[in-house]
Amino acid sequence: MAHKNLEDVLKAAKNPVDLLRNSRIGAYVYPVVPAEFSNWRDEQAAWRKSCVLFDQSHHMVDLYIKGPDALKLLSNLAINSFANFPVDRAKQFIPCSYSGHVIGDGILFHLEKNNLVFVGRAPSANWIQFHAETGKYRVTIKKDDRSPSNPKGNAVKRISYRFQIQGPNAWQVIEKLNGKKVPEIKFFHMGAIRIKGQRVRALRHGMAGAPGLEIWGPYKEREKIREAILAAGEEFGIAQVGSRAYATNTLESGWIPSPLPAVYTDERMKKYRKWLPAGSYEATGSLAGSFVSDNIEDYYVTPYEIGYGPFVKFDHEFIGREALEKIAGKPHRRKVTFAWNGEDVTKAFGSLFTGTEEEHYKYIDLPLSNYASSSFDKIVDKNGKVVGASMFAGYSYNERSMLSLGIVDPNVQLGDEVTLVWGEPDGGTRKTTVERHKQLNIRATVSAVPYSKFVRETYAAGWRTGT
Amino acid sequence: MAANNLSAVIETHGSAVKLLRNSKIGMYVYPVVAAEFSNWRSEQVAWRKSAVLFDQTHHMDELIVEGPDSAAFLEYVGVNSFANFDLNRAKHFVPVTPAGNVIGDMIIFREREDKFVLVGRAPTANWVRFQQAIGKWKVRLTHDPRSDSRPDGKAIYRTHYRFQIQGPDANKIFDKLNGGPVPDIKFFHVDWIKIGTRRVQALRHGMAGAPGLEVWGPYADKHYIQSTILEAARDIGVDLALVGSRAYSTNTLESGWIPSPLPAIYTGGGMLAEYRDWLGADSYEATGSIGGSFVSDDIEDYYVNPFELGYGFYVGWKKKDFIGKDALLKMKDEKHRKKVTLEWNRDDLLKVVASAFEDGTPYKWIDFPQPNYASTNADLLLNGNKPAGISMFNGYSFNERCMLSLGVVDDDIRIGDQLTLIWGEPEPTGKTSTEPHRQAEIRVKVAPTPYAREARENYADSWRTKSAT
Repeated sequence: MAHKNLEDVLKAAKNPVDLLRNSRIGAYVYPVVPAEFSNWRDEQAAWRKSCVLFDQSHHMVDLYIKGPDALKLLSNLAINSFANFPVDRAKQFIPCSYSGHVIGDGILFHLEKNNLVFVGRAPSANWIQFHAETGKYRVTIKKDDRSPSNPKGNAVKRISYRFQIQGPNAWQVIEKLNGKKVPEIKFFHMGAIRIKGQRVRALRHGMAGAPGLEIWGPYKEREKIREAILAAGEEFGIAQVGSRAYATNTLESGWIPSPLPAVYTDERMKKYRKWLPAGSYEATGSLAGSFVSDNIEDYYVTPYEIGYGPFVKFDHEFIGREALEKIAGKPHRRKVTFAWNGEDVTKAFGSLFTGTEEEHYKYIDLPLSNYASSSFDKIVDKNGKVVGASMFAGYSYNERSMLSLGIVDPNVQLGDEVTLVWGEPDGGTRKTTVERHKQLNIRATVSAVPYSKFVRETYAAGWRTGT
Repeated sequence: MAANNLSAVIETHGSAVKLLRNSKIGMYVYPVVAAEFSNWRSEQVAWRKSAVLFDQTHHMDELIVEGPDSAAFLEYVGVNSFANFDLNRAKHFVPVTPAGNVIGDMIIFREREDKFVLVGRAPTANWVRFQQAIGKWKVRLTHDPRSDSRPDGKAIYRTHYRFQIQGPDANKIFDKLNGGPVPDIKFFHVDWIKIGTRRVQALRHGMAGAPGLEVWGPYADKHYIQSTILEAARDIGVDLALVGSRAYSTNTLESGWIPSPLPAIYTGGGMLAEYRDWLGADSYEATGSIGGSFVSDDIEDYYVNPFELGYGFYVGWKKKDFIGKDALLKMKDEKHRKKVTLEWNRDDLLKVVASAFEDGTPYKWIDFPQPNYASTNADLLLNGNKPAGISMFNGYSFNERCMLSLGVVDDDIRIGDQLTLIWGEPEPTGKTSTEPHRQAEIRVKVAPTPYAREARENYADSWRTKSAT
């Protein structure tokens, strides 16, 4: 019989780890947007050298939250402080479980009084929706799910289009669009510009040290707005970024998009698991990599570990507060970038030409090398001890290196050489993204976040830089 | 004023070579179909070891030719003999220019005495349309161009869905679907089979030596037909893999068909000059791209003739007349280049891959499994220092654990010879599909076509096998 909810699905499975590691859902797709507009190398180079247009209209859930209790609901779920969060402000919203582990994250936009939108992966949106529906809040929710991973030639509709204009020349493009200087908007503050005579709302963002904007509006205006941006951007070398390159921009800037939502255990979360449909991200998603534990909790991360320590504010009540208060002052694993050894990566490619199933290493797809919705590869020190995990991997043409983001034990230092175990044990799991393979030890250098020296030295002070 | 036909576009760019080598069209996309259903390695393995479902609904033009003169018209346009072209048969239709060079190819189905359906890349469809436009044939054409390369969330409509089910276990699925053994359809013959509640037309095809069928019908039935096929496979425990757009075009590396010859229409007066005026500025011929290390000022150096591609034995010499007949008659007994498979050297490939992880300008990235970066590829092959041919279509085969390409080489080159393939372009072009790079020398070994031993030994006696010896 078909399962109704996550709790049912988990009951039928041996173990949540086993369930997720053998999910048949396939690759985590960045849908609808063409794979490449020019080619992924040049598209990556453009965000460092000229400017890019990211089309973010399809890969994220938009959850609209309205009502007099909207802020109260969100504040009760977030590690973040809501003390200074007026209209026209955005924040990286991070909800945790009761045990103080990350459920997900996303951007929360304060659009109007009592009117907000959360934009991000499904787990945080689901968690907000659950509390809105089951808690005693005067709120209404409208969920606009991400676009289908395989639209099969059918028309795709969203409520909003969402673009980012980023890169060193982004501001020139923005001012050209606007027809005059754009008044200074502070980082993660919202304002508006004019495009084709029309007012378009904008969030001040940035990349590679240069200011940029995220803009949005009604989906039916997407074509018109895009054409205007491309026309204005032409002289500044604007490049549209396709779905193959898109997700790799984070490797240079240091955000981990895919922590495993900490929802699979804990009696206090049981009501939520019964609420989560059997078709939800949490029940169908996949977990990949060389790190294998019987205990799903070993895959959870705390906000401190992935660089969100500065966001944790005990100035309000929120789910997970008690647990986080207990660990607040303690040493934590911390977020780093792993720079992979090129010779070892080439060795993995070499097995494409040698011969047999036994000799094949897990294919490293470039530029995005993840093969599940959450990744967890073992990081081992020179004594063979597991000292961390790699959680999001891909190639940067700008850095001419495979990079991954992950976490390491407190005693691991920048510059240390560690081993990343690439591929899954025992020939690989039953995930459809996995061909039979053997594991390969890849040397990696523990490096700063953000990896890019350029980004590190010029990015707005914040969680990325840990300042 | 913007150029509104191919002639004007060529003039604007100075020459056809300049136009095509600097095209901004981007990659040649296999549209709409998901990139990967499982992963491209496993999808490739499935066509050798179990069974695959190719969704061919979107990447090809379809042209319906009907009317009392249909057969006579197409016999005149193509080189093929129609002598044995009974109802419910298909052929590999190849038109050439008056100078005898290949324009393209399409699969042609004879549905009725007076109705044919052609399926393939645009150049052949365009040429057939032009011939109808300038001739006095009693034929009516219906053209359904391929799906948009980048639908970007917009709905796509085609006239027909088109699937192939291929692989060693394909027959079991047909038998299950049909509720009993499917008729014994001969190679490139068409019959009717049952899929669920529908009776659908099926062309006996084959790949890698194993039997397969191509089925088609109204686009509205697509979802029903696909789910019925998948369900049948599940019921009998056959591992039927859907093949995504990344793996799809690499199947030809194992079976030996070259999908992308340059249509030989950029030169020549008379009918061809008229054709270039007729072709729109947005046509495949005006927007397409040439990528690769082979560079000549003369666009004709990129042309191929039917003998070189192994299509010589299609030619209906007994036909009274057809476009290109005189030229082919003259060429017939000359020495021709011949089609071969090229097996790329592992160490040289890895040198290219390794450059992605080193500072400086890397070699041109070899994308896996499909490294092509233009609608027509032309990489220079050297025998020692001497030009010896052109590599024309690339792809990695996980089944063969080898990067392969298909191309044409001089008549004196033998199977087993080692040549050098120059990978990457000598100078930056305007193509958006190329990043700045330097050229690499890659040793390649000349191998037969089809490369896959199973295909070579078991494939129906056909053009695929009539190549190099």
